[in-house]
Amino acid sequence: MEPVLRAKNLTKRFGGLVAVDDVSMDILPGQVMGLVGDNGAGKSTLIKMISGVYQPDAGEIFLENNNVTFSGPRDARDLGIETIYQDLALAENLDVSSNIFLGREVKKRYLGGLIRTLNWPYMHEESASALDRLDIHVPSLMQQIRNLSGGQRQAVAIARSVYWNAKMMIMDEPTAALAVPEQRKVLSLVRTLREQGVPVIIISHNLQDVFAVADRITVLRRGRKVAEVDAADTTPDEIVSLMVGAKAVHEMGVIPQPLENSGSTEDLDQ
Amino acid sequence: MTIENNVNPPDITDDQRPVRSQVETLTLIRRVWPWVFLALLLVFFTIASRALNDVQFLSPRSIQGILVFATQILLIGLGETYVIITGGIDLSVGFIVGLAAVVAALIMKSLHPTGVPPLPTILIASLVAILVSAIPGLVNGFLVARVKVPPFIATLGMGGIVQGAALLLSGGYPVAEQPPYLGQLGNGYLIYYWPDHGISFFGLPEGAVAADLQQIIPLIPNVVAATIVVTIIFWFILAKTQFGQHVYAIGGNFEAAKRAGIPTQRSIIWVYTISAILAGVAGVLWSARFTSGAYNAGESTLLTAIAAVVIGGASLFGGEGTVIGTIVGSLIVATIQFGLVILGVVPFWQFVAVGVVVIVAVVVDQFGRTIGS
Repeated sequence: MEPVLRAKNLTKRFGGLVAVDDVSMDILPGQVMGLVGDNGAGKSTLIKMISGVYQPDAGEIFLENNNVTFSGPRDARDLGIETIYQDLALAENLDVSSNIFLGREVKKRYLGGLIRTLNWPYMHEESASALDRLDIHVPSLMQQIRNLSGGQRQAVAIARSVYWNAKMMIMDEPTAALAVPEQRKVLSLVRTLREQGVPVIIISHNLQDVFAVADRITVLRRGRKVAEVDAADTTPDEIVSLMVGAKAVHEMGVIPQPLENSGSTEDLDQ
Repeated sequence: MTIENNVNPPDITDDQRPVRSQVETLTLIRRVWPWVFLALLLVFFTIASRALNDVQFLSPRSIQGILVFATQILLIGLGETYVIITGGIDLSVGFIVGLAAVVAALIMKSLHPTGVPPLPTILIASLVAILVSAIPGLVNGFLVARVKVPPFIATLGMGGIVQGAALLLSGGYPVAEQPPYLGQLGNGYLIYYWPDHGISFFGLPEGAVAADLQQIIPLIPNVVAATIVVTIIFWFILAKTQFGQHVYAIGGNFEAAKRAGIPTQRSIIWVYTISAILAGVAGVLWSARFTSGAYNAGESTLLTAIAAVVIGGASLFGGEGTVIGTIVGSLIVATIQFGLVILGVVPFWQFVAVGVVVIVAVVVDQFGRTIGS
């Protein structure tokens, strides 16, 4: 299977610190990749290179076999790499349909285009089917976002990305700050995305969440990739020991570095 | 397999239901209370004016008086609605009214004697005055959107500049010597109904003499008709178009709007320009009503217009507000001012009343927000 995304030897330095050191990663269609690591391991920096926030100092990114470079997050989004941010980028005062079509509103034309009004029936219909496809339930499309729960907001943001043809989705701590039933809902949404062939990179501190949805797990430690394993072949305990450096995965050819030699990137990784 | 339904975790929407209906109730109250308040005000003034002065508060004439009074508040309030929805404020519009009135009056004063007939004179002067008033709006928008000057400071400064410009142009005096027909246009009515004789439009029915004026019922003042047309246009733009949607999005979450590709800077520049243009329209109507132009034509309306917008449900935090709300807000403020005059209260109290109403409306808004979240 051709990978949707191929990150090849990505490296990012901040001054003397190597935040991400020669990390490669393939994301296959419909694959959920869990990205785990301790604070400062380089997860966010890696993700920010893939989503165009940072430009890598070395290495390449291939999207559907095309070598791509991003000069900003906008470029990555235009090519179909959607990042679901914590603040979700939704306008809380507007309703669900408005947010799904935010900035890309559909218009009806009158008098040869002289007068253009918003085509709400179409946008509501499309929004309803976009939510439906992902099995998302909101009380009403006319509901202001501020009256929705955290999980529902998350779902609307995801539905918007999918509707606008996201090729892959990056979710940074999607379950943080959510109540337990809401977390479950978001995780089942990740599974729905997988079923529909949209790959997801999910970053989480919560290993339980990662194991609940991920097909593969990549472990970063001090900027280096120390393991990439099938979720089915490993255990949370094993992942934790990889994260903290208590276990080396020799079969992958990666040997954890001694603690004193590597600088902490904790401050940069916010 | 009905058993499975019981095994499934409860749908999250169920958990949210009580909270939601509370929110909906609050939204409903916020939407309805201005109308209730307006009705209560009308009842109050009807009773009070009957008891105190033995005058009938609600007559066709007084209702139309309130409407005329409300036109300037509404026109400025419309622009302010756009600005406040984006999360800004426009403090320059009061003096832009004055600038437009002075410019229109100056042009009419000098153009008519050159032989241009009254109607074209009035038309040209009005258009030029409105175009001139758009300039400070453009600059406001540029300062806010591009230079990132806080709206409060940018428009306050612009207000001072515009006031100075109007004073310099007019020499500090009202610009009089206006063409004929202007006063008739500014103070006339769309329809004149003469019982038993018929209806005429734009002017008194033929054959009517001064003695008949008591019987003739004038309906819909011209300035009210003009304001209605302008209001419908700007209601349409805000409520029905993509630009209007972007105005709401910018006020709701500026970063989200930007990330979604909405042209935030251009939209904000337009919003301040619209605000200034509407103030220009108010100024032109003022010059027609008073057949002159004065730098302070709209000075005291700034506060009342902001009051009207806030009473109408707009939030100074941005993202909320409607033209319908601003209409009812304008009617409330106009009714208070008009009612106090009818009651014979010293006019200076009007400022106190409007000031109190603004503060109360903002407190109610903040209170509603705290409960809502």
